[in-house]
Amino acid sequence: MSDLKALTDTVVEMKETEALELTVKLLESGVAARDVFRAYQDAMSEIGKRFEQQVYFLPELIMAGDMMQKALEVIRPHLVEGDQGGGAKIGKFLIATVAGDIHDIGKNIVTMLMDINGFEVRDLGVDVPADRIVEEAKAFGPDVVGLSGLLTLAYDPMKEVVEKLEAAGLRQNLKVIIGGAQMDESVRTYVGADAFATDAVVGVNLCKEWVN
Amino acid sequence: MLEELRGISPEDRVEAFLDIWVSGEGLEFASEEAREAYRYRAGLLKDAILLKKTPDRVPILPLATFAPTTLAGMSGKQAMNDPDGLGKAWLKFVDDYEPDALGGMLMVMYAPVLEALDYKLYKWPGHGVPEHLYYQFNEQEYMKADEYDHFIQDVTDYWIRVWLPRTHGALGPLAGTFPVYGSMELPMSSPWLMTLGIPEVQDAFKALLEAGRLTFEWFQKMMPYVGQKVAKGFPESAGGFTKAPFDVLADSFRGTTGIMMDLFRQPDKVLKAVEVLTPLMINLGVSLAKVNRNPLVFIPLHKGADGFMSNAHFEKFYWPSLKNVMLGLIENGCVPVCFVEGAYNQRLEYLTELPPGKCVFYFDRTDMARAKEVLAGKSCIAGGFPVSLIMTGKPEQVEAEVKKLLNQVAPNGGYILGVGTALDDPKPENLKAFMEAGRKFGKY
Repeated sequence: MSDLKALTDTVVEMKETEALELTVKLLESGVAARDVFRAYQDAMSEIGKRFEQQVYFLPELIMAGDMMQKALEVIRPHLVEGDQGGGAKIGKFLIATVAGDIHDIGKNIVTMLMDINGFEVRDLGVDVPADRIVEEAKAFGPDVVGLSGLLTLAYDPMKEVVEKLEAAGLRQNLKVIIGGAQMDESVRTYVGADAFATDAVVGVNLCKEWVN
Repeated sequence: MLEELRGISPEDRVEAFLDIWVSGEGLEFASEEAREAYRYRAGLLKDAILLKKTPDRVPILPLATFAPTTLAGMSGKQAMNDPDGLGKAWLKFVDDYEPDALGGMLMVMYAPVLEALDYKLYKWPGHGVPEHLYYQFNEQEYMKADEYDHFIQDVTDYWIRVWLPRTHGALGPLAGTFPVYGSMELPMSSPWLMTLGIPEVQDAFKALLEAGRLTFEWFQKMMPYVGQKVAKGFPESAGGFTKAPFDVLADSFRGTTGIMMDLFRQPDKVLKAVEVLTPLMINLGVSLAKVNRNPLVFIPLHKGADGFMSNAHFEKFYWPSLKNVMLGLIENGCVPVCFVEGAYNQRLEYLTELPPGKCVFYFDRTDMARAKEVLAGKSCIAGGFPVSLIMTGKPEQVEAEVKKLLNQVAPNGGYILGVGTALDDPKPENLKAFMEAGRKFGKY
């Protein structure tokens, strides 16, 4: 067990090479792949916490995502069905950067943090037309729809999504949050969203409150 | 450096260059009144920057990229394809709103040039972005993680033979050329020259010549409009531009994901790369300012903002080279005008390390009251007005917000009123309210 704890710590401390070596060693010595995977999940949740506390920032988050991905390549062949399921999901979250905007950094941070925080996340990518977001919302049944946009040109497409969710009869069953550097209360009102966030952590915490 | 500044001591050069700019010497004006209006407006900016005396009123400097053409009813695509429409829209914009300085007409760029080059670094209206919108940066990993050594050893060779071919589709074949060094001796010249004869390489050069020709023609059309704008009494707000070395590397070469992992995997190479870029970024800013006889050098700041990295990373990777670029500009009499995108609430104290009265920090979402508190007597601050209010608010709200902001940050000078981000699609009545409120409440 202490080796698994050590693995979690090396990942949290961004010691990439050591973490990978330890992962291989643990698997070779017969530790269940499921437990090794959990050690990584624990690390991700600690990294998420440090991000919230503003101890870690974008570099650590991106690095952690890459370490996790590389580790999975090593762990995956050893996993049996059901191992990767993680805990019960606390809610469903649909996210997209709206039509006309091609920025993805903010969206990707939120996606990662929502996942760490136990949401089932569907990420539609960038420059996503309103109709597609509405269609996906219909099929996926999210508790929260997150609309991302860096530029002021995102205001109108965001408004369009909210109007179309309304027209499709979906609006009353879900919350809409808009996120990006140029969002504030006046934009929230204009768009007709339930909340705005300029900071990923604030947004994620709001979503958690909503589903609780 | 500008010839006139050579005999002047380094600490007095910024003021001397500002004086040259304010004088309007060598510029043509439509009338004596226009000349006086120009001097008055540029003088407001000079006083706000130098911090030696309180200006007559707070200068107002809106950042406008596509706003003038949008207000004239043109789409982003039209703005980028119709030089006369672009020029006329800008002349109307200064007549309608009377900014104290305005720049950026040439930042709109000419779409046929981008098409000729098969430009990949941005998407623009009609090319990956809807026609009514504006261009956007297309961030990718244009430089691979294992290419730092080439970049550090010979950045220009890397730039031309590796980076240009990836970012400018039409220049792709340049990747197959040899380095230029054989040209030092007759017997060693032929391999390099031979590669320039490869048919695909010849096509690449033809595309480059065509892009140059189109840009030259576009300039011929645009410069008279820039001249007319100044002749009406409206100074250009930027003499040149440059970037923070870390942003050059992070934005245009490695991309956010790549650079952030480099901070852990190859930190020393990141530091060497930004060191290589530092003198180049000083030269870029200084040479443009010199040609335009305008000391204001615009520096948009990106990946050092709050949230992008810790203060420890900022101190190590971002700030030292940016500071060196700014000091290099100042030494040459230029005024670094940092456009601080996002927020800098965690970084304000670093900005006090610059010599007083030489820089402008134009803020987007930074807490302006704190910025004033930390930077008062150190550097001129600017901006901070929420763009969202101009786009979605009402004139009364805009007026009240301008008044509030000015009360916070205008006292004792050292402030330039501006909207926190570049305007593309403002409500005209709100922009008018913004300018009028600035003139009304900004009087000292």
